Amino acid sequence: MSLDVGTLAGQMLAAALPILKQGATDAESFAKTEFTKIAQTIVSLGEQVASGQVNEQQARLFLDMQASASRTVLLTLEGLALLTVEQAINAALNVIKGAVNDALHFALIP
Amino acid sequence: MKAIRTKHSALLKRIPTIVAILVLSIATLAAAGCAVRLIGEYDDTIDKGVSDIQQRAELYFSKLKSNPDTPFDQNFYDDINSRLAVLASRAASLSKYKIISEQVKELKKEFDDFQQIDKLQKRPFPVTSVTNAETLITTSVESILTLELALKRGAAPPAKSTK
Repeated sequence: MSLDVGTLAGQMLAAALPILKQGATDAESFAKTEFTKIAQTIVSLGEQVASGQVNEQQARLFLDMQASASRTVLLTLEGLALLTVEQAINAALNVIKGAVNDALHFALIP
Repeated sequence: MKAIRTKHSALLKRIPTIVAILVLSIATLAAAGCAVRLIGEYDDTIDKGVSDIQQRAELYFSKLKSNPDTPFDQNFYDDINSRLAVLASRAASLSKYKIISEQVKELKKEFDDFQQIDKLQKRPFPVTSVTNAETLITTSVESILTLELALKRGAAPPAKSTK
């Protein structure tokens, strides 16, 4: 049995693509809710500054807190994306495992 | 046109290299006898530590909301800072934990900022300000926990929003 690069790549892509798409959908849903919460805080902060409830120094500190919260959300998205890619690579390797190991007569892919 | 042909030809020349890299990657994986890991494993200490910090912060926020005349409490911030320092060391020592390490640093910055806000704030403390700070800190804590639970790989539900 010979190995064909095009066939192997096609099988790997078919295994990886649904995982990548699902990962993107999950990340979008997470980001949407988290950024909505942060946007609500910004609006509320604007109202508080206007009404004099907080001074300018406090407003700047709140804005800094908000920037940190946004960075934390984005870092989670980065981590989730890495996990999705990792899962896609493993699924892609798994789908060609049988064909590759059979063709080579040894377990190249464990 | 000549440029496109040259580019195409250069790409064709690279195919054996790409295939070699792919085979080498698979061989490396085979030698390692394990699946690809791009980010660290779930860590129970980080998970529980972050949840514990949130619980303590919630208690302080609740006090400020129920009694806006609650005085600034340096002990609260000292306690949170020491717990965050332990978590930062833990995250720094774990393999492939750069992202969560950064998140712990951001969480510490948020507490540092709120400490200054709290110190500057005349009493009664406006409830809206407390709620804003609470929302931001909760967002960060839940983001860290969402990623941490996802690191369980397969044992955790797919990523979803925290609220």
